[in-house]
Formats: sequence, structure tokens, C-alpha cells
Amino acid sequence: MPMKPKVPGLLKGLGVTFNTMMRTITKGADTVQYPHAKETPPIRARGVIALHEGNCTACMLCARSCPDWCIYIEGHKELAPPRRAGGKPRSVNAIDRFDIDYALCMYCGICVDVCPFDALFWSPEYEYSESHIADLLHDKTKLGEWMLTVPEAPELEAGAQKGK
Amino acid sequence: MGLVEKGKLPAPLTKLFNLGRSYSMWVYQWGLACCAIEMGAAFASPRYDVMRLGVIPLPASPRQADFVVISGTVTDKMAPAIKRLYEQMPEPKYVISMGSCANCGGPYWDSYSVTKGVDQIIPVDVYVPGCPPRPEALLEGVVLLQQRIKSEDMAAKWRGEGAQPMSRNERHEELSQGHVPPPAGDTPGGMPQRDPIVVGGGPIE
Repeated sequence: MPMKPKVPGLLKGLGVTFNTMMRTITKGADTVQYPHAKETPPIRARGVIALHEGNCTACMLCARSCPDWCIYIEGHKELAPPRRAGGKPRSVNAIDRFDIDYALCMYCGICVDVCPFDALFWSPEYEYSESHIADLLHDKTKLGEWMLTVPEAPELEAGAQKGK
Repeated sequence: MGLVEKGKLPAPLTKLFNLGRSYSMWVYQWGLACCAIEMGAAFASPRYDVMRLGVIPLPASPRQADFVVISGTVTDKMAPAIKRLYEQMPEPKYVISMGSCANCGGPYWDSYSVTKGVDQIIPVDVYVPGCPPRPEALLEGVVLLQQRIKSEDMAAKWRGEGAQPMSRNERHEELSQGHVPPPAGDTPGGMPQRDPIVVGGGPIE
């Protein structure tokens, strides 16, 4: 069996470097120029939790299931007009306060999963660093603003179980 | 730097100094838990490449660092080391707290051994939320810190009138009443007077 001529390691290494250089020159670097250009996170990225206030009934399921107890809800009962004429007025919950402490949140998503009224959504936004830790407590106004960044839910895969 | 301490430096020169400082920051990496993986991605990978921002993640010791990123779970056993690390850094020095654990304990809010936030032992300038934060979130924290440094009054900082660390009681008051700016430093010389932190049964030597 004839011996193949051995390529010296030096040349091999130079070749790798040369290939990388050519790739960088032709295709550009992989670096995302962060403050100017931003990478799009995956659509299901767990960036921040948004609140759709109209759907929330202050049922406290999210606050009770939160492992960190980082959701603060206060609400009161209100009388709403009856659905049909002649009925008695309905009693509905109105939220006074819905705060999520993002300094404490562990981004597990249990609150989003457990919400029976589709009031909580994941948003892939991640840029909300603060200089004061108290500012990381987002109130319902701020959580409502995050709703604008929630992407459309992706199509279900073929054969996926429909929501109940 | 006598002129700086007295606040006699002309404003344009201060601006120039701040600009220079904000784009030449040596960062000491203090990775304690899973956030350190994201910090490594932000500081060492070509995709995020923090050196574009003028942040150099290669100081040999805290004595050469301008700011430190505390990323991960700060345990009570690690707290004295962090305190010493902070005291070793030369002024002006900054701290970025990365992730829920370093911010205020995070998932370990009820643990017997975890410090509930690194701001209990050292003052923190920027809190980066996330569990763990994306590498870009850390980059955003760095950019926020640079903006703060650019608009900083150096004389006030040297007199110790910069951002003061909040005690736990103050933090609770803020959480319950909305944001209240911390009171101006009544004790000269940076850190306010406070009781020594008792960790593991004795004060830090």
C-alpha cells in the first residue's frame, strides 16, 4: 500500500485559516452588530410575559401557581349589566393591580400555561434592563404594552391536538 | 486627579473623559451559575463579540477591571469573596447584576443558603432581568451602563453622591409605593455606614 504524502501540519493549519478568511470576506462575519442590528429571537422565546388585561378575571391561578410568588394581583367585585333583558346583574371581577416582578421571575411559563382565559402571553422581547431594581416590577400598564410585541401564534402542526 | 475630586474639571473635558471611559471598560467576569454560559456567549463568542462595544473581558485581576458582571446564584458562602472582589477594584467601578438569582435571589428566594440579591453586599448599577438573560440582554445592559457613564458627573461620583445601594427595607418600601429615588449620600466616602454582614456566623474579616 503506497504511503500518501503527508501534508505538513503547518500548511494544513494555514489552509484552515485561509478558508475561514475567504468565507468571512465573501459571506461576511457572523457577528450581529447588536445596538444597530438585532437578532430576531425564536418566535417562542421566553423574553417577557405580556398581559391582556381585558381577558384577566383576577382568578389568581397564575399567582398561586407561580413557584417564585412573583405575581401580585389585587381585585374587587363589580356588578355588570345582565346578559339578557330582565336578568339579574352579573358579578364580575375587576383587577386593580397586576404586577410581575421580573427581578424574581424564573421564566418557567407556568402562569402562561395555567391561565384559563388567555390573558398571559409570552413575548420574545428581552431589552428591559434597569438601573433601579424597583423598576423591574412591571405593573399592568407596562405588561399591557408588552402585548404589542407578542407574535402571532404559529400554525399547529398536522395532526396536533386542538385546544379544548 | 485632584481637580476631578473637587469638581473643578471643565465640562467639555469631563465629557471627553466619560466618553473615553465608557468605550474602554475592562470587565471582570464573575460567573457563578448557568448565567455564566450566556455571559460566556456574549463575551467570548464571535456572534455577539462584546469587544465591538469597547468592553475587554480579559483583565488579569479585579485590580485592573472597570466593572464586574455578577452572573448567577450568589450564595452566602460566596458573598465575602464578592465583597472582597468589589473592594479590590479601583474607582470608578461599576457592577452589572445578571439574572434573577443575582438580582434578588430568583428561584432561590426561599433558600437557606442563597444571598437574596447581590445588591445586599455591593451596589449594583444595572440589573439585567432573565433566567438566564439572552446574550443580547447582557449586551443591552452593557449599553445602558455606557449611557450612564457618559452622562455621569464624575465629581459627584468621587464625592460618593452617585447611585447608592438600597437596603432591603428601602427596597420593600419602593416595591410597595412605586419608585422613590434613593436619598442623597449623608455619609461622605461612597458606601453608607451599615452593620457588617454576618455570613456563616461571623462578620467578614
